[in-house]
Amino acid sequence: MVSQRSIVGLLALSLTSLLSAEDLGSMWGTAEKEAKYYPIVDIPIPPTIPMRTGSFEILPDGRLAVGTRRGDIYFIKGAFASPPTPEYHLFASGQDEIFGLSWKDGAMTATQFGEVTRISDTDGDEVADRYDTLSNNWGYAEGHEFAFGSKHDPEGNIWVALGLSASYHSRNLFRGWAVKVTPDGKMIPVCSGLRSPAGVGPNAEGVMFAIESQGPWNGCCSLKHLKEGGFLGHPASYNWYPFVPGMDAPAVEPNSPSRLQVEKKRVKELVPPVVRFPYIKMGRSISGFRLNQTGGKFGPFENQIFLGDYTLSIILRATTEKINGVWQGACYPFREGLATGTMHVEFSPQGQLVTGGFTTNRQWPVRGTEPFALQRIDWTGLMPFEIKEINIKNDGFLVHFTKPVDGKVAARTDAYTISTYTHKYAAGYGSPELDQTTLKVTKAVPADDGLSVRVHLDKIVEGHIHDFDLSTMKSVDWEPLLHTKAYYTVNEIPKN
Amino acid sequence: MNKLARLINLGSWILLSGAPAVLAAPIIPGLISSELEPELKGQVLIEELNCVACHQSEVPFSSRSKKAPRLSAVGSRVNPAYLEAFIRDPHGTKPGTTMPDALAQLGEGERDEAAKSLTHYLLSLKKNDFSLQPPDAVAAEHGERLFHSRGCVACHSPRDADGIELLQEKSAPLGALEQKYSVKSLTEFLQRPHASRPSGRMPDLRLQGQEAERIGHYLLRETRVPGHLSFKMYRGQVWEGLDSDKVEAERAGQIQDFSLERFGKVHHQTAVEYQGWLNIAQGGSFIFFLQMNGGSLHIDGKQIVFEEPSNRRGPMTLEGTVELQAGWREIQLTYFHTGRDPKFSFEMEGPQFKRGRIPSSMLSISDKPILAFEPLKVDARLAVRGREQFSALGCVSCHDDLKGAPKFEAPFGKLGPGKGCMSESRGEWPHFDLSSEQRKLISEALPRAEKRVLNDREQIDKTLVTFNCIACHDRAELGGVASDRDAYFTGSHPELGNQGRLPPPLSHVGAKLTPEWIKEVLLNGKRQRKYLDANMPQYGEANVGHLAELFGKVDKLEAVTFPKIANIQESKDAGYEMMGTSGFSCIACHDFNGQEGGAGALDIANVTERLQKNWFHLYMRDPARFHATVTMPSYWPGGQSIRPDVLQGDSGQQIEALWAYLADGSRAKKPKGLSRQSDQLRVSDVAEIARGRGTAGYRGIGVGYPERINLAFDSEEMALRLLWKGEFVSVNHGSFRARGSDRIAFPPGIPFHRLKSMDDDWPYKGKTDYTFPHDHGYQFRGYHLDALRRPIFQYRYGDITVEDFFEDVLDKSGVAKFKRTFRFDSLSAQELFYFRAASGKKISKQSDQAFVIDQLQLLITGEYQGLVREGEPGEVLIPLTLPQGRSTLSLEYQW
Repeated sequence: MVSQRSIVGLLALSLTSLLSAEDLGSMWGTAEKEAKYYPIVDIPIPPTIPMRTGSFEILPDGRLAVGTRRGDIYFIKGAFASPPTPEYHLFASGQDEIFGLSWKDGAMTATQFGEVTRISDTDGDEVADRYDTLSNNWGYAEGHEFAFGSKHDPEGNIWVALGLSASYHSRNLFRGWAVKVTPDGKMIPVCSGLRSPAGVGPNAEGVMFAIESQGPWNGCCSLKHLKEGGFLGHPASYNWYPFVPGMDAPAVEPNSPSRLQVEKKRVKELVPPVVRFPYIKMGRSISGFRLNQTGGKFGPFENQIFLGDYTLSIILRATTEKINGVWQGACYPFREGLATGTMHVEFSPQGQLVTGGFTTNRQWPVRGTEPFALQRIDWTGLMPFEIKEINIKNDGFLVHFTKPVDGKVAARTDAYTISTYTHKYAAGYGSPELDQTTLKVTKAVPADDGLSVRVHLDKIVEGHIHDFDLSTMKSVDWEPLLHTKAYYTVNEIPKN
Repeated sequence: MNKLARLINLGSWILLSGAPAVLAAPIIPGLISSELEPELKGQVLIEELNCVACHQSEVPFSSRSKKAPRLSAVGSRVNPAYLEAFIRDPHGTKPGTTMPDALAQLGEGERDEAAKSLTHYLLSLKKNDFSLQPPDAVAAEHGERLFHSRGCVACHSPRDADGIELLQEKSAPLGALEQKYSVKSLTEFLQRPHASRPSGRMPDLRLQGQEAERIGHYLLRETRVPGHLSFKMYRGQVWEGLDSDKVEAERAGQIQDFSLERFGKVHHQTAVEYQGWLNIAQGGSFIFFLQMNGGSLHIDGKQIVFEEPSNRRGPMTLEGTVELQAGWREIQLTYFHTGRDPKFSFEMEGPQFKRGRIPSSMLSISDKPILAFEPLKVDARLAVRGREQFSALGCVSCHDDLKGAPKFEAPFGKLGPGKGCMSESRGEWPHFDLSSEQRKLISEALPRAEKRVLNDREQIDKTLVTFNCIACHDRAELGGVASDRDAYFTGSHPELGNQGRLPPPLSHVGAKLTPEWIKEVLLNGKRQRKYLDANMPQYGEANVGHLAELFGKVDKLEAVTFPKIANIQESKDAGYEMMGTSGFSCIACHDFNGQEGGAGALDIANVTERLQKNWFHLYMRDPARFHATVTMPSYWPGGQSIRPDVLQGDSGQQIEALWAYLADGSRAKKPKGLSRQSDQLRVSDVAEIARGRGTAGYRGIGVGYPERINLAFDSEEMALRLLWKGEFVSVNHGSFRARGSDRIAFPPGIPFHRLKSMDDDWPYKGKTDYTFPHDHGYQFRGYHLDALRRPIFQYRYGDITVEDFFEDVLDKSGVAKFKRTFRFDSLSAQELFYFRAASGKKISKQSDQAFVIDQLQLLITGEYQGLVREGEPGEVLIPLTLPQGRSTLSLEYQW
């Protein structure tokens, strides 16, 4: 016996008229050029389904699974076909808002606001009939107390990032902490100091990160390292250390207003944000992310992090590296013009990037105007000319490109405009960009293959975002960069 | 020097010890924080010190100089002892005051004499009724919050928990207020500050309701008034303890003795903490007799009587014996007015004291004497002498509400640096104790002060600094909220970011607001940003009225060419479309015509009444230009509309259309999406589930059953919360709300508990019970579904695994009811514990297995039996003892 809603959910659609998605918004002004390499494809949604995506998963049989704000989980066949021929099947329903899905051992583990739940079908009708609570042992009693879950780590744990109470306080157990839930349902607190985290997941080295939003103690949005025993910046959650056996509260609280690079020396548990996303230039409320391990099917950005921004309906890239034992890295523009507020992304087995999300008439403004949407970004196989990655060196940076650069242009020191700035680290909301400096490029040496340039600088400023503007750069074919900007967060300078 | 005055001076000296000596210089907060040019700063000083009161000028300049307070009613406002001390030594008594020391040239004896005469003169002016009232500690707690959020600390110093001023050196001084005011006189002053200080430097904060009184109690919480007993009264679920979040402190103060009648009507569910000292004439053994529901008695910190309160039983008769020595003994009594027929009696018996109530005469709030306030008896001879001195010493020049000939000194034009008031030496002039920097500023401003004609911008700057507008509002190149006061600006909608807590900037304000609206805000107290905790104070038309026009003249932004509208109705329709959820969703954040939007951002229905159209166009194109950390996005980034389908995507036309639509003000058609639309979840032939916040807490699980009965289960406490009939729920994302009718509510709390006694309260999760109910052995484990998709809840209680299953069944006449079956699987045999099956106001027991609880019929269908526990509310409990292994309990609910 299947409920009426499940029957409605089993809908096959083949709409071709909706295929060419309209580009909404133009912030970087690059949408038209981006579409040549990475077109956006709509995945049609039947009118009966409120598809407000909170999270994605790919099933072993290649179907797309979507967890929604409404608390339903759909399995979608044909979402990755060209053109998409989606058939929706309602697998589970009636849960709280789902912001984490992970399939393992024949069951779907969902992170909802109140708990981590293992959801399974035991009678083989493809509709879930067991909802086993693994843990509901964190406090959940106020608005804004969101919970975002990872996929299973190699030990089978789900990592959950818990937003603060009413977005400012920590009035209920472990709000502002990241915890992990073991396969047997134990909850282990990992680190404190989060504010309003969104997506949780690993980088290419398997280290767990979470997205953080701009606000008090956070000058801008960032990618944060969920370091065990670490303090991630917002001190409201200090009060839960007495509830964590074997973990002591940091001896001091951060001063306000101050700077991260000052306070990390005072508060030794403070883990500085790994990649900071300058406000508005690189998003206003970044959200779910996913590592690209498609083996080149999605183009030149293998092992990089792809993430969405809710407010601006865009997709960004990020890379990370570990310097002096501390994670840091850079972010890069990628694609704009999505139809709705991006909440999560996922790579399909075919190497497409699926995006989904929603707008709301109650909470936050969004540039994309659709109430909700499922979209796909496909790679056409054409190689865009992009800054691929930036790595730090002891006296400058190594900038990688997706195509060989023109040797003459790339060797000019004035082809690189590198300014730096940082943010207040303070209890107040957000921060303007502060302490601006401009760096002098002393030498630029392109590699023989033209795919990277070693940029030497008069200095590097610790604690600052290094803002790269490469608008005069040219490829060997005299092609300009698709995106001319990149932003590297320097927490540490390599020793040699 | 009279004794009291000396005491006061000593007090203020202690208060100041450790503070830098320069504090005596007058403090004008706006001067310290502003970027005003030095010459204008000098001019502000000349006006704030009211130099022209003595040094007349031939040209009318400095006409808005700060007048001294009106003194005709000072006797009802200020404690005479303080008044005398302040006149005698203003800078020692209130460091930072702008009042000069007019008595400095007199010898010690003459000084005392003059201060005394002046005080008698001032008190002779009007019949006065100054008296002291004891502070209310509960009101003071509210007052502390208000003082630090309403805007007081923009100019005055914020204080730490002990009342120590944190920013004394850059704040308008208050001095030792508890020596100056009474709660009554300070409250009256805060409600109408301009009645005595017409120059408006102390603005009218437009405090509402009890706010002024509460701030008064806070600022005067150190006031000491003799009395018999201190008390603090609480209301709420007091039996849970006075620190419970279900209990609120209501008021505090003094009372004559322990009898309850003194309070007037005492509400049920009240507690009173009494504290004081008991004077024992002859030592020996004392017995204390108490009749009360619960409470405690301590003497000299030692517990004599203690009884847990309970809302489930009547009063207890209690007694305690203690050896007491003669002298003052500290006594603390906590009384709980709860349970059945609450009653209170408190008697004592001891040597030379027959059993009876303790009379007021044996009680005092302190073991040390407290001087009562004595009104000053005006000595007519001294008053006449004081009147002469009021003129002779020049007081009358500044305090010009009292009739008298002003004492003029050298005309302003003749003044030069280094002489008289401007010199560091003592002489026959008022002494301001100016700092060397202040002297320099005045000296440099003197030569041009009379002649300089200020341009409009300079006039604005001078006024904004004088009235310290920049303590709350940023104005480019002049100043703004100081970083050490920033944290005191708060708001009720934190999601609005800085704009939700900081008053709006004044940069470009003349190009932003219509002159009419500026006047409304400045002079009539209109407020747009109700989410700000700080009030917009009122300074008086005579003082700041000129700003409205000047802002408009000075503030200019580039002019926008407004697009021509071909069809006004088409334009309005497009504006309507863009405003709603199918457009830009402006109402996702903004309120509209009094109806709440999503984030509570400011109401936009009256935009065209407040804003200039030119500014509206500029702001809409780039909000970040006007607020660095604005949360409002641009919908026309780079001039390109994100809605190319509306009005051909023309940015100018679109913005104009919003304006045209909003120009209808409160008559504008309600934008789409303003009323929250909710989805109804319906039940067909299998059960439906909705989880999340709403009807059953945050971890609620709603279940709708095919027989059209429904329940809400709280998976946080593993308890049934609500039964209802008919339609199931409305769902909005992760929240659900019960629809239908015939609701039966169950109180918060866990299902099973080992009551130690029948007086124990049934446990539930309080706000700060962070690990509840896991600390009672509970763990929720989820649910699985039967063939009709009905959930079987699973959880653990200690070493018992519980399956909890509700089935919808029909009785013989076809009426639906719930059959509930618990299946226990226990690792060991369980000693007695209880299941709370239901709870309500009116319970009748029909048999050991059948109960009627208000509208609900409860039937125990197995072998277990129930019992009724009285209380508010009453409960049906089922005592359980379980064997090791499997067992069941089954019930039926029908209503």
